[in-house]
Amino acid sequence: MFKLYRKLISYVPEKTYLLGLTVLLSVLSTLAQVGAMYYLYIFLNKLIFPDLPKTTGIFSFDSAAEVASVLVGLMFFGAICYTLSVMCSHSFAFRLETNMRKYGIDGLTRASHKFFDRNESGKIRKLIDDNAALTHSAVAHLIPDNTGAMLMPILIIALAFAISIRLGITMIIFTIIILIILKNMIGEKKFMEFYQNSLDKMSAETVEYVRGMQVVKIFNVDVISYKSLYEAIKTYGKYAYEYSMSCRRPYVLFQVISFGIIAFITPIVVLVPQFTRNPGSAAVELTMLLFLTGVIYVYIMKIMYISMFMFQAQTAVNKLETLYDEMQEDKVSYGTRTDFCPGDIRFEHVDFSYGDIPVLNDFSLDFKQGKTYALVGESGSGKSTIAKLISGFYPLNAGRILIGDTELSEYSRDTIVKNIAMVFQNPQLFKKSIYENVAMARKNATGEEVLKALELAGCNDILSKFPDREKTVIGTEGVYLSGGEKQRVAIARAILKDAPIVIFDEASASVDPESEHELQKAFANLMKGKTVIMIAHRLSSITNVDEIFVMDKGKVAERGTHKELMGRGGIYKGLQTMYREANDWRVSDEKLA
Amino acid sequence: MKNWLKEKFALTDQGAKDLVVASRNTFFSYMWNMVPAMVLMFLLDWLVMGHGVNKWIYVGISVITVVIMYILMNIEYKSLYTATYKESENLRIDIARTMRELPLSYFSKHNVSDLAQTIMSDVTAIEHAMSHAVAKTIGFSFFFVVISVMLIAGNWQLGLAVVLPLVLCVISIFLSRNIQRKYNKKYYDVLRESSDNFQETIELQQEIQSLGMADEVNASMKKKIEDAEKIHIKGEGLSAVFMVVANAFLYLSLVVVIIVGVTLFSQNRISLLYVIGYLLAAIKVKEGAEAINMAVFELIYINSMVTRVKELRNTETQKGEDTDLKTFDIEVSHVGFSYDEDTRILSDVSFTAKQGEVTALVGRSGCGKTTMLRLMSRLYDYDSGSIKIDGKDIKEISTESLFKNVSIVFQDVVLFNASVKENIRMGRNDATDEEVLEAARLAGCEDFVSKLEMGYETKIGENGAALSGGERQRISIARAFLKDAPIIILDEIAASLDVGNEKKIQDSLKVLTRGKTVVIISHRLKSVEKVNKIVVLEGGRVEAEGKHSDLISKSKTYRSLVENAKLAEEFCY
Repeated sequence: MFKLYRKLISYVPEKTYLLGLTVLLSVLSTLAQVGAMYYLYIFLNKLIFPDLPKTTGIFSFDSAAEVASVLVGLMFFGAICYTLSVMCSHSFAFRLETNMRKYGIDGLTRASHKFFDRNESGKIRKLIDDNAALTHSAVAHLIPDNTGAMLMPILIIALAFAISIRLGITMIIFTIIILIILKNMIGEKKFMEFYQNSLDKMSAETVEYVRGMQVVKIFNVDVISYKSLYEAIKTYGKYAYEYSMSCRRPYVLFQVISFGIIAFITPIVVLVPQFTRNPGSAAVELTMLLFLTGVIYVYIMKIMYISMFMFQAQTAVNKLETLYDEMQEDKVSYGTRTDFCPGDIRFEHVDFSYGDIPVLNDFSLDFKQGKTYALVGESGSGKSTIAKLISGFYPLNAGRILIGDTELSEYSRDTIVKNIAMVFQNPQLFKKSIYENVAMARKNATGEEVLKALELAGCNDILSKFPDREKTVIGTEGVYLSGGEKQRVAIARAILKDAPIVIFDEASASVDPESEHELQKAFANLMKGKTVIMIAHRLSSITNVDEIFVMDKGKVAERGTHKELMGRGGIYKGLQTMYREANDWRVSDEKLA
Repeated sequence: MKNWLKEKFALTDQGAKDLVVASRNTFFSYMWNMVPAMVLMFLLDWLVMGHGVNKWIYVGISVITVVIMYILMNIEYKSLYTATYKESENLRIDIARTMRELPLSYFSKHNVSDLAQTIMSDVTAIEHAMSHAVAKTIGFSFFFVVISVMLIAGNWQLGLAVVLPLVLCVISIFLSRNIQRKYNKKYYDVLRESSDNFQETIELQQEIQSLGMADEVNASMKKKIEDAEKIHIKGEGLSAVFMVVANAFLYLSLVVVIIVGVTLFSQNRISLLYVIGYLLAAIKVKEGAEAINMAVFELIYINSMVTRVKELRNTETQKGEDTDLKTFDIEVSHVGFSYDEDTRILSDVSFTAKQGEVTALVGRSGCGKTTMLRLMSRLYDYDSGSIKIDGKDIKEISTESLFKNVSIVFQDVVLFNASVKENIRMGRNDATDEEVLEAARLAGCEDFVSKLEMGYETKIGENGAALSGGERQRISIARAFLKDAPIIILDEIAASLDVGNEKKIQDSLKVLTRGKTVVIISHRLKSVEKVNKIVVLEGGRVEAEGKHSDLISKSKTYRSLVENAKLAEEFCY
């Protein structure tokens, strides 16, 4: 438990005092409640033995009413302390949640690219969101209740002994019996894990189900025939029910003993004469027994929740930490050099793999400064990997990549960002104005430069679609940019950046034919005077590039100009032929029957 | 009572019924739990007042008390948890079914995975409330009424002293309800916003890295989270104040009982036993009420979740009669549609897709081609005009009987984390293994499936993660083959394929489309040049329709699209 506390504190160093305050207030609240019970005892005594000397209590009072007001005052004070304690722990928990999210953000903004390749966006978000929220809800109640739950039974038993030895012994027996009963019920980690797993499974299956709704509808896949979700729901329900039934006996026993304690003790009291030798005291003690067991009951109930909270907090923190570690795996370490000297790009004996799947093995290749290269090959041939590695976002398993005479990894992150421009296949835009979306490529660019870049990227017809032109905010009502249009804005970014190295992943089959040609012209503008490496999909457009590398299973299978490669009649020629056939294919080529 | 519960907590009929029973059992338990206090009074009557009876009577009463208590609690527990888990299961399945009835437009308005998970976690919250709060609160309410009457009947001053403060407590909770709800909603909105931020950051991570914006994004997100924390603390502080006020009333009850009791006792108007008895009652009722306080706050807390489940339930579903369709011309006339009020996608579209012909929809991106396909297959319902198949408006045809006749190969293939075989079999659930394999063969799945470790039994991961784009596409085509429906809709099916794949798929399609009503969208105009009819969409209307040769001269949009495509094709870097 203290290990968990220490861990939690380590995430909220700035608000540790709140934790202390929570514990302190919780202790005060517990003391006040026990105090109230003590005064309740005195009050009963005064009622039943009105002739006792007035010095029974620590303080002396003139009448029962005064005792009563102290009693109620203490109870109320206890309640306020508890509320304050919960408030403190809540603000601690809020900060914990906030910090857990921040921790998630740190992880996200620094995560390796491989991490994003491996994990789906919705899942990552859900993990961070849910678990951060869970740390909050668990911790908010855990700390005050935990303190009270540890302290209260001890104090109550002590009070019982102060009243009389036999009441004390009864209370100890009562508490022990109840704890033994409950031990059969709580702390079942295995159950909690199973429960959590089947809950996770159910929610994952639901996402699958909804994601496939189009298919589910069209192919009339009913809930029941959509087995996985149905089974997940059933399994969860069955397990939860079985577990609740396995708890039935101990829980009912616990309730009966707690509420029926008087009925249990009555036979002993009436049948053993010693107990009723002083009937007044027996009356007071029996009444107190009812009250004290009531208090213990409330706290035992809290203990039952505590183990759940502890488990939740623990799991949530663990999950986040695991996620964070995963994010940091395969991270690139950047160097410190900031003076970029353009030059040839050289792969020297590079090894690279995704998990266990090797993509490049002892791979060496040169790209000459200022030339244009096209990479072609089937998917999985390694052509995208080469582009990714030049971007400097992925660590190599072995070998090195040089730009000029300097290893890529010697440069600082900012230097790499400034000198290598990438245009992705499916570029995303920020929910900002089009202008800002371009301007972010170079912080010190003037307004004119941004507009010029937009123009060169052929974005003018996009701007004229909207009344606010470049000030149009992406993602607002009625603002729709097609894939090709987004890619042109991304090219404007790259033009503004004016980096000496450009990597371009051509959209495999442009989503919108009308912007494809615009896109090609825009990219031609971007290419001027740069070292260009493009991953080509439209094989007809690369016939003039300086050199074509045909990738196959992580190796350069063929290289040369279009003319040379066509003459050789190898893989490249095959690809071109197939491309042409597919391109010339027409629906309805044969008469439909 | 049953209907009220059903409405209030979005329960199923059975669930509400079971919950009524559980509540009744809880009420009995509450009542019986007062019996030990009465036994104590009985004892005290002897110990303090000297009115003793035979010792064995005390013993007998005690034994009976415990036995009945055990029986009642057992019944209560069993009925409560049976009701809870049966209901949560039924609710989940019911929701899953309901989702299937909803038009897809519902899903386009909500973030899909969010929606799914929220709804299911909402049920978890309702489930927890059922087992921990609902029956308890109802049982206690009835118990409170009965015990109040009894207490007031016994001695009205002391009775009122116990009851009145509690009533005030209830009123204060009731009054705070709306404020709490408002705060809960505000908090949820903030949470959602921060969620969206996370999502955006993850989706944009390539851009963030390559533009070197990590630090900037990091700082701005942290700022937003700090703001959220402030709102959260404010709201929580407010609800803490209500807790204190509500508790204050509970303690007030004790003060009043003690003061009134002692006063009456000192005036000799009541016996000592009464004072102790009412004190006992006050403390016991207070303890009960404290537990109920938590339960009531839980009920308030789940309000927004219940609302969400209800919203889903009350969303209008697609109705229609079961109809046996015989001919399959699709007549579209004057159709209008918008996804939301501000953006009209289609304003007035008319054309006919004939059986035995291939009809292609072309137009600039965003012109509503895909939307048109969705309307024709009734994945969405059009707003105005009409779409008829076999002379019947598709809005009048039940989705079951309509979908039976439609195969769609989507641009975005959706596969499930099941075996290849199961994924194909979705096309027709009663298909034999041979039929499934035959469909797979026709769709050109054989060569890649044979390379998989377990062949057709291989599980393909979430959305077929283990397969390439072309392989996934071929599985979805195999589904369509297996279904062999008279209407076939093909949506940009070659958008994400490699050169090699594309050729194979195109060959498969030739077989699939024979003799059917085929509607196709293709980005590659050339591929639809020879279809029977090309419909050009522009500005939400049909600009022109006809054969390729007519359109080249007739349609400005078509001509410019073709020219653009030609330019792109001939372009060299």
